[in-house]
Amino acid sequence: MKKRWRKSGLVVIGATLIASSALAQSVDTARIASAGQNDWLTYHGSYKSYHYSPLAQINASNVGNLSVAWMHIPGRSTRGLQSMPLVADGVLYYTGSYSRVFALNGATGEVIWSHFPELDEVLIARQTHSPYNRGVALGEGKVFVGTMDGRLLGLDMKSGKVLWETRLIDSQKLTVGFTGAPLYAKGTVIIGAQGGEWPGRGPIFAVDATTGKKKWEFLTVAGTDEAMKTWGSDSWRTGGGGGWMPGTYDSETNTILWGTANPAPLYDWSGADYKTQGARPGDNLYTSSVIGLDIDTGKLKFYHQELPHDAWDFDSAVGEFVMLERDGQKFVVHPNKGGFVFVYDRNLAVKNVWRLVENINFVKDIDKTGALIGRRDFTAGKVTEPPLCPFIGGGVSWNAGSYNPKTGLYYKIGQEWCMTLDVQKTTPVTTPQVQLNIGADFKMAPPPGGEIYGHLDARDPITGAKKWEVRYPEPPLGSVLSTAGNLVFVPDSRGILHAYDAETGTELWNHNNGTGHQGGIVSYSVNGKQYIAVAAGFGGMLADEYAPNFGGVYKSMPRDDGALVVFSLK
Amino acid sequence: MKLHMMKFTALLSGVLGVSSLCAAPVQAQSATPAPDNGTFDVEQLFAGTCGFCHSDGGRTAGKGPQLMNSPRDDDFLHNRIKNGKSGAMPAFGGAFTDAQIDQIIKYIRALKPREG
Repeated sequence: MKKRWRKSGLVVIGATLIASSALAQSVDTARIASAGQNDWLTYHGSYKSYHYSPLAQINASNVGNLSVAWMHIPGRSTRGLQSMPLVADGVLYYTGSYSRVFALNGATGEVIWSHFPELDEVLIARQTHSPYNRGVALGEGKVFVGTMDGRLLGLDMKSGKVLWETRLIDSQKLTVGFTGAPLYAKGTVIIGAQGGEWPGRGPIFAVDATTGKKKWEFLTVAGTDEAMKTWGSDSWRTGGGGGWMPGTYDSETNTILWGTANPAPLYDWSGADYKTQGARPGDNLYTSSVIGLDIDTGKLKFYHQELPHDAWDFDSAVGEFVMLERDGQKFVVHPNKGGFVFVYDRNLAVKNVWRLVENINFVKDIDKTGALIGRRDFTAGKVTEPPLCPFIGGGVSWNAGSYNPKTGLYYKIGQEWCMTLDVQKTTPVTTPQVQLNIGADFKMAPPPGGEIYGHLDARDPITGAKKWEVRYPEPPLGSVLSTAGNLVFVPDSRGILHAYDAETGTELWNHNNGTGHQGGIVSYSVNGKQYIAVAAGFGGMLADEYAPNFGGVYKSMPRDDGALVVFSLK
Repeated sequence: MKLHMMKFTALLSGVLGVSSLCAAPVQAQSATPAPDNGTFDVEQLFAGTCGFCHSDGGRTAGKGPQLMNSPRDDDFLHNRIKNGKSGAMPAFGGAFTDAQIDQIIKYIRALKPREG
């Protein structure tokens, strides 16, 4: 007994040392930009957004020896575990549902500190896109997290103590809060509100990382005079928008790149005359767009609206901003929920568009200039022949793909599914509390003449040329990780974590985590040992569709459970 | 059989009375949506809000269960709409009055498969 106590005491001392080293090496903009191989300092890995680890200790020749090193159970994982873990100096930071934050010893899983924000449970009970959380940001000795009730918290990285908290959204009125991870850059914390089908104006906020004071706010719905003209009938008042997933920072242009959500209602009854008719006449700027904001002022510098007057819920809030160089040219690659991948220059001018997903018919095509060809704009009534493709869950979901600079390939999940719908005229409900505004009844349907499936593609990120593909009976919903060990990891919906040869797509290893995945996956190193950390735990707006539509393992899969599972070589 | 449109004017004072139970003082956001017109149309409510989870207007299972031919009694449905279910269904007791929730139940009871 005595011996055991002594042992645990040593672990605590070890954890303290690790935590202390985290303070010694502050996480700042330069460090996040350089993306040291041992850490994972921001949601997308670094500002380049590769979701790639340069570690190669775990590699294609020894991955068969990968096994569980430790696990952490966050508890109360209502609607699963959706977080992207971050790692700095051997300490792993991640979130559970209800905006719970944990700091763990990256080598052992021992809890260094935890913070459970006190939330208004009555408010949380009213929310639909809730209570999951997708992660934190690190910077200046702090851990930043958004809460379901509209606050941004700055926690001490060493102790978890709240250093400041700032209310940014009137969640009591607008119902929505924050689920996405913030982004830290240049002394500023950026976070976007939920929105989309939620009537509101979808603000993106910048907060001073030191003081917690709000620096600026950009409204993704009619945030400029130009944009205001694109919302007829005063529809800007309930336009939706938002930016619920983190974007990135381009230090060369001093710009925040962010993807914005769809307008409300999701489905419009305008028919082809959407510029003058329907629920929200006009292009509805800056919804379903990628935008560049000056990080210091929040002023819009440039943008591209991927889907003018989005009438299908295929927004731009999903997706990473992969920053590449090829032949002396700099590119930004950004997937859109509709299943197309947009290639931009650093000022968001379109350079190419390619198709990741096979079953797309909301447009006939999007050409290389970004122009939508053959839009399908509905009037009120049934849409069945053919069903609308993709399904409301998108051709891509919100989790991230991975770019591997060693193979030059972009690994991204595509989703093949469709839906029937009955478009109906709706009126936004804004009192006493804002309610969802969908604009249709709908249900999932298979693609015409085919089956529902998902696929991992290995593609050239600029041209879209496909090198290989792996198929899954149901679309995987988790993020993808690739490593310098010539590996690609895919956590799938049934609960299997797969490792593939990054060059060929050959499956080299798999492990059943016991429940579906829909969160992040990262790699890091502590004391010279490489780890793979993945969030397991199913449930949420898309995962909840799996049991009724696919049955099988999903029928009994919990939607209130989850674990962080961490692997290393035996 | 066609569904009857069930419309009535919301008792705004009653609705606001309920909402005040859970309203906490918060800092006003700069962009507050305008108040709406106060009419209540259940079919439209499903197309706007409920149908996001109760697919095909409540006729088939989606994120939420199928409501057409629900074996649950009216009291159960009323309570579930009003108070929700943690992690599965939002509570609408702050948004809708008891009378409005009864209208929603009437809609559910009248649900039939779509023709054609």
